[in-house]
Amino acid sequence: MTSRARSIRATSRPALPALAVTLALVASACSGPSPDESPRAADRPWDEVVAEAQGQTVDLWMFGGDEAGNAYVDDVLTPAAAELGVTLRRVPVADTKDAMNRVLSENAAGSTDGAVDLVWVNGDNFATGQEAGAWWCDWADDLPNLQYVADDDPLVAEDFGVPVDGCEAPWHKAQFTFAYDAARVTDPPTTVAGLLDWAEQNPGRFTYPAPPDFTGSVFVRQALYALSGGADEVPTSYSDEAFDDLTPALLDRLSELAPSLWRGGTTYPRDQQALDQLFADGQVDFTMTYGPATLTDLVADGTFPSTTTVLSVEDGTVGNASFLGIPASSPDQAGAAVVANLALSPEQQAAKADPAVWGQFTVLDVGLLDAADAARFANLPDSPVVPPYEELSRNAQPELASSWVNPLDEAWRREVLGSP
Amino acid sequence: MTDREARAALPGIVLITGVAGVGMVAVLATSLGLVPLYGDAELGLDGWRKAAPDLAAGAAETLRIAVPASLLAAVIGLLLATLMLVGGRGAVLVRTGCLAVLAVPHLVGATSVGLLLGDGGVAARALAPVVGDTGWPALVGGSWPVATVLELAWKESAFVALVVLAAVAPGHARRMQVAAGLGAGRWHRFARVLVPTATPALAVSSMVTLVYAVGSYEVAWLLGRASPEPLPVLAYRLFGSIELTDRPAAAAAAATAAALAMLLAAPALAALPRLRTGLSPDRGLS
Repeated sequence: MTSRARSIRATSRPALPALAVTLALVASACSGPSPDESPRAADRPWDEVVAEAQGQTVDLWMFGGDEAGNAYVDDVLTPAAAELGVTLRRVPVADTKDAMNRVLSENAAGSTDGAVDLVWVNGDNFATGQEAGAWWCDWADDLPNLQYVADDDPLVAEDFGVPVDGCEAPWHKAQFTFAYDAARVTDPPTTVAGLLDWAEQNPGRFTYPAPPDFTGSVFVRQALYALSGGADEVPTSYSDEAFDDLTPALLDRLSELAPSLWRGGTTYPRDQQALDQLFADGQVDFTMTYGPATLTDLVADGTFPSTTTVLSVEDGTVGNASFLGIPASSPDQAGAAVVANLALSPEQQAAKADPAVWGQFTVLDVGLLDAADAARFANLPDSPVVPPYEELSRNAQPELASSWVNPLDEAWRREVLGSP
Repeated sequence: MTDREARAALPGIVLITGVAGVGMVAVLATSLGLVPLYGDAELGLDGWRKAAPDLAAGAAETLRIAVPASLLAAVIGLLLATLMLVGGRGAVLVRTGCLAVLAVPHLVGATSVGLLLGDGGVAARALAPVVGDTGWPALVGGSWPVATVLELAWKESAFVALVVLAAVAPGHARRMQVAAGLGAGRWHRFARVLVPTATPALAVSSMVTLVYAVGSYEVAWLLGRASPEPLPVLAYRLFGSIELTDRPAAAAAAATAAALAMLLAAPALAALPRLRTGLSPDRGLS
């Protein structure tokens, strides 16, 4: 053995035990919190929460790609929070998952001085946080403005099949929406299954974002309903039996459809923004969104053609509600609760529902409001593009439980994305 | 290496081992289930099993991007360095251009390339009268990572050019004069004097480019297709997955990318001392 080889052996010998020790130390130091460890808010008068919130700065992490939403928070919600003694700062993120990653990492580290005080969240991200015990709970049930939300509203009681359990406060409702360019589509389909047929008859003029993108993922669930004979045929909660029973038809149909999609289905837009870009450029004739409020602005500023029209589908589309969640690691939980309560007030909900401001559908039951507050909603102008919520949510279907999302997304990636 | 040289290198080794080593141990530990986001740490290969079906395709896609981008950057970088060595006003312009390109973040560069080369982008619109509305090739998000390769090559060629320039410029004029005096024409001076002199710097900077491209996430994410994903994109997607249990798979993809980078860098590092001694300008012209 050469001296060089000996020296390498000599130095490498202690390296393995050292690595093992390091890994063991990492392991012992890095066990995460248990899933059922969500901290719960103490039951106390609302006045105490408001008093504690004075002077707190609340960092609201939210998707930053919606200019109208940013403007609403900056120009309407933030000044109103300041009047209540709370400084509200908007932290834009490209994807809510970025905020969740921060929250989960802080939670895993046992931090109580985290950077995130409030998150615009729903669905799978909420479920993930619940699973990890990363949300502060029991606070949302104490918000005074919750009195204006209907007790029996299923969209507000559960979030993608996960009980809200006082761990998040409702913010607004959303309805999955297809839009098309009426100047180019003269024979719009009237059902989701019909939309797939239309795509087949018009090669290259339709596509959808690749799951796990949020919008693409919703589209696949919407197609699952359509191809399974309706939402009633798909059990809301996930089971392997239901998955094995229902998904082959979906995956076969989407694989069969792929060659007729934009670029022959060899690739898909990465996200809704990419699909919107294709629609704006006239590359495809349809776009889709879970936030139809954005359509008003996109048409008004000329990004989308003035002939952009919301597709009315007889079988309805899925709907959900968005929420505001407070992480367990937030150091300003009282301030965050005050902001969430403010956001739920009839004034803020009405301002946000104005298409000229943001156009988001309210979570309040207008029937529970006094006459003056109800008038705020009655007097709202209509959007020139987006129909009223009552019309858009006709035959609305519930979202599947979040436990469906990942298996469906993965199955799509394996069987449809790789199929052409 | 003498003891004195070893002592001099120690701070650098400690720093690199401290930062990169601890990071890599953390990634490996995560991939083996030892750093869970919740629940108990449990040693296992579930993360690797979950990532396994995508790792080979991911590595192939990574190489499909990194290798052509590095080769292209080397060729363009060498040509840019040659232009700068000529001197004069043109050289100042090229140098300023290279510095400007270096200052542009890859994210901005990728966005710009997307707007330039994408469907309905500036180039597609300008050439619409020639290629028609549907004749523009799928450069962004298409079957071949054309836009990704071009963006990386464009940005990294400026880096290569400046490294080569810094290495070759001292004594360049004298070497050219000697070669010219010995009767070497322009092509021979380039091929027989400049290229060998530039080779060590070109090899080092190309290796850095290659390793960077293997680990680059944002360019491929913005300009590439949805599938197959290069390893860093795969790692990032899994890292942001709503499934808490996908973290080990994300770490497995990241560890594979790191291993791939090391695998590519090792032969180049081994060859460098030979290149430096074999092609030294002093040896060649003394």
